[in-house]
Amino acid sequence: MNQAVKNILRFVALMAFQVLVLNQIEIGFGIQLMVYPLFIFLLPVEMGILMLLLLAFSLGIVIDAMSNTYGLHASSLLAFAYFRPLIFKLTAPRDGYDPLMETNLHTMGYNWFIKTFGALLIIHHFWFFLLEIFKLNELIFVLQKTGLSVILSFLLCLLLQYLFLNKAVKK
Amino acid sequence: MRNFLAFVRRFRVLLFFALLQGIALSLYFSFSQFPRIQYLTTASTVTGGIMEVRNDVTKHFYLSKNNTALQKENIALRKTIPSSFIKLNNGLVKINDTLHLQQYEYIPGIIINSTHDKRNNYFTLNIGSQQGVERGMGVFSAKGVVGVIHNVTEHYAVIKSCLTENINIDIMIEKTGLFGLLKWNGKDARRGTMWGVSNDTEVKKWSKVVTRGGGGIFPRGINVGKVEKTDVVEGKPLWDVTIRYSEDYRSLQRVYVVKNLLKIEQEKLEELIPIEDEQ
Repeated sequence: MNQAVKNILRFVALMAFQVLVLNQIEIGFGIQLMVYPLFIFLLPVEMGILMLLLLAFSLGIVIDAMSNTYGLHASSLLAFAYFRPLIFKLTAPRDGYDPLMETNLHTMGYNWFIKTFGALLIIHHFWFFLLEIFKLNELIFVLQKTGLSVILSFLLCLLLQYLFLNKAVKK
Repeated sequence: MRNFLAFVRRFRVLLFFALLQGIALSLYFSFSQFPRIQYLTTASTVTGGIMEVRNDVTKHFYLSKNNTALQKENIALRKTIPSSFIKLNNGLVKINDTLHLQQYEYIPGIIINSTHDKRNNYFTLNIGSQQGVERGMGVFSAKGVVGVIHNVTEHYAVIKSCLTENINIDIMIEKTGLFGLLKWNGKDARRGTMWGVSNDTEVKKWSKVVTRGGGGIFPRGINVGKVEKTDVVEGKPLWDVTIRYSEDYRSLQRVYVVKNLLKIEQEKLEELIPIEDEQ
């Protein structure tokens, strides 16, 4: 399938899943499931950062409009997109990234995915809950929400990739 | 000039990031005060429409519970209609008097979207200005108070619910008449707090808390909840009164919007209070 079409479909699907399903689920302990950062993460490696930021902003603002959060998702997804190239550079394999390959769980392996996506997801969730609560004397509560939500969101993202992404053919 | 352009080119990523971040954050922090940008909420026609379709599916999850609540309300109302009374004295004649004037009207509505675990939670209603809803009207359900209308479009409205930090509804303890403001601590969807009760008064556990009817937003005596416990506020002569809400906002669907027919009259009168008395 064409790269652009694939990404547009992914945009719509992740947005709908987040707004129509995940926003309605309440687990308690302040846990909130967020999987839409996966869209920004799976974009091609060589994509320019300006384009990344623009896409992040638009996806965030659409989700905001449908969950009455007025810019909260947009802000934290922008942070996710801004830090993506930096983290990618830190965790790059020895001979660099293959520009033709998609950087998902199957192509890059568990170790790389847990390090890279985990770090970015922690930044995203921490930013989100910090802004949402916006009180320094409740920092413990922010950390509790971040810690618990990151674990569950991460597992859900793993599951989504297992279900919907084709396994790469090993050369 | 060339230096400036070089600067912009060098830091273009950071500048662009800061620009978009600025837009997002200014939206976020200004919205709770000034609901200007209506198309960015679930009150807009597109997203409101989507939420309505979703609600068509999920409303059935709580159907039996809601039906029971409506049935109970019906029984309470049925008790008051003439056919459930026995005539004791046939000699009495009913005279249409001018002693009672209708002050409140109620507009029925259905909540089609809501959140409960955020710091400030807003509910979306399926009725709007076409049905007579206006900003600042009160909303309640069969079991208790729900919130205040925050934002209205032609077909939808957004409620600032009792699950927002500064909801500030005038409430009082029914028996003693002590009054205060309703607040929410941002965590527990079953409990709110009553602010402004002086600690030299006695607040009994499990006494009923109702709306006070100040400001003309709600009629007097709509249920809010019951006093669960009182704590000491450090450094202030106040009780921190925890209220257990009578309504479970997580499965709430059918609500009524309060239309106060005498609101303009009350507002005109209260405008005459001299301003220098306030601090």
